[in-house]
Amino acid sequence: MKKAENQNRHIYWNPYFGGFLLGLLILFTFYITGRGLGASGALKSSVVTVVNQVSPEHSETNAYYSKFLKDSNSPMNNWLVFEALGVILGAFLSGALTGRIQWQTQHSPKITARRRLVFALIGGLLFGFGAQIARGCTSGAALSGISMMATAGFISMLTIFGTGYLVAYFFRKNWI
Amino acid sequence: MQEELFISGRNIPKIDPSLEVWHFPISLYLFLGGMAAGIIFFASLFTILGKENKVQTAIKPAMIIVLFALSIGLIALFYDLTHKLYVWRLYTTIRVESPMSWGAWVLLFVTVASFLWVFSYFSELFPKWSIKTGWLKSFERYLINHRKQLAIILLPLSIILGIYTGILLSAFNARPLWNNAILGPLFLVSGLSTGAACIILFSRDHIERKLFSKIDLALIIIELALIAHMLMGMYAGSAVQLEALDILIRGEYTVMFFVFVIILGLIFPALLESIELLGFKVPVVIPALLILIGGLLFRMVMIEAGQLTRYLY
Repeated sequence: MKKAENQNRHIYWNPYFGGFLLGLLILFTFYITGRGLGASGALKSSVVTVVNQVSPEHSETNAYYSKFLKDSNSPMNNWLVFEALGVILGAFLSGALTGRIQWQTQHSPKITARRRLVFALIGGLLFGFGAQIARGCTSGAALSGISMMATAGFISMLTIFGTGYLVAYFFRKNWI
Repeated sequence: MQEELFISGRNIPKIDPSLEVWHFPISLYLFLGGMAAGIIFFASLFTILGKENKVQTAIKPAMIIVLFALSIGLIALFYDLTHKLYVWRLYTTIRVESPMSWGAWVLLFVTVASFLWVFSYFSELFPKWSIKTGWLKSFERYLINHRKQLAIILLPLSIILGIYTGILLSAFNARPLWNNAILGPLFLVSGLSTGAACIILFSRDHIERKLFSKIDLALIIIELALIAHMLMGMYAGSAVQLEALDILIRGEYTVMFFVFVIILGLIFPALLESIELLGFKVPVVIPALLILIGGLLFRMVMIEAGQLTRYLY
């Protein structure tokens, strides 16, 4: 029991304070780059690049991929890619400063690590798919959208969290 | 599709108007040679200082890495040669004014001396394979007794090996990006820091890791200062050098250079190493690997970008 407690010991900040800082960060991003943040864009660029490397014919004829393939400019040459790189580095630094760097899968004591990973994979697939339909994920569509007072931003935010609450009832056994 | 047409009155095959002759093997060799020079430098330095017991990794396992690095580097150089059968001609002459001649000879001596070095530790490294033959045994004993002399020979050789890679490039007057005096010391410092990173990577000894982390941190700071000096020197240069600078600061290789070499290969690992020295827990593999990758990418950027610059316009 002691070990489990130790494993799930969190040295996190207050989430409300984190949210406040995130708001400041978005303001700062708008001030510096003139646009909002995004997280799924980097992944999308990577996918487009890989597909384009493997099969250029397919990516050029495909209606979705061809949008991102401008002539002679690689989709990796996108500021979102470097933003994601920075997020990884920053997360690593903050983890190092709080001594949280270790190989572990965080999961409820009631389920196995494998089950947690499988569910995370399914959730990630659904979210990635949805983010591409909605033209953006929580940060790209909802956060940046709301900070610009865009209706779509409010709708995505409400939908993301509303659906989350609804679906959580069925999957609550995985956590509590 | 980017095409380039230029008309030159000169026609020296493989030199001018050829634009790109050196590719990845050369960058790989420069990286491996620099790293080997770094490891040899530390191993021989601590041996001369009589502190071998403090740096067990640097003098034994890391020197085996050196053998592999030098061998792979030499294979890469050989692979790059157009006339492979004439490789022996490099060893028929000594030209004091030619960096390549220096490199060829120094590489020969360093490789032989490194093999002797590892052989002198053979019984310690592989206690199960004891040497049976009589003359080999006495040869090993001779080497063990003369390790310090070997280190005294290797120390200057390793510095020459580390610095010549940069001098070699800066001797090309026709390539404005390479033609600066800082490249030699810069490649030497970069080689020393990749060597230290390699030792950190293989070290199991906490004290030794800490020591090399400190050394590495100092070297990274020096390297950043030298890079800044190189860029400032080009900024104060003529039009061709300004053009060369443009490739690095607002051109084709800017992202590679700043994001992957300077931020990911120098600043970020330096940050990680310093917070580690302050007592936070960081997996030491990460900064060490980042420094090694950064060192390789730095050579690649310099080689590729250098060949884009020329005096032909």
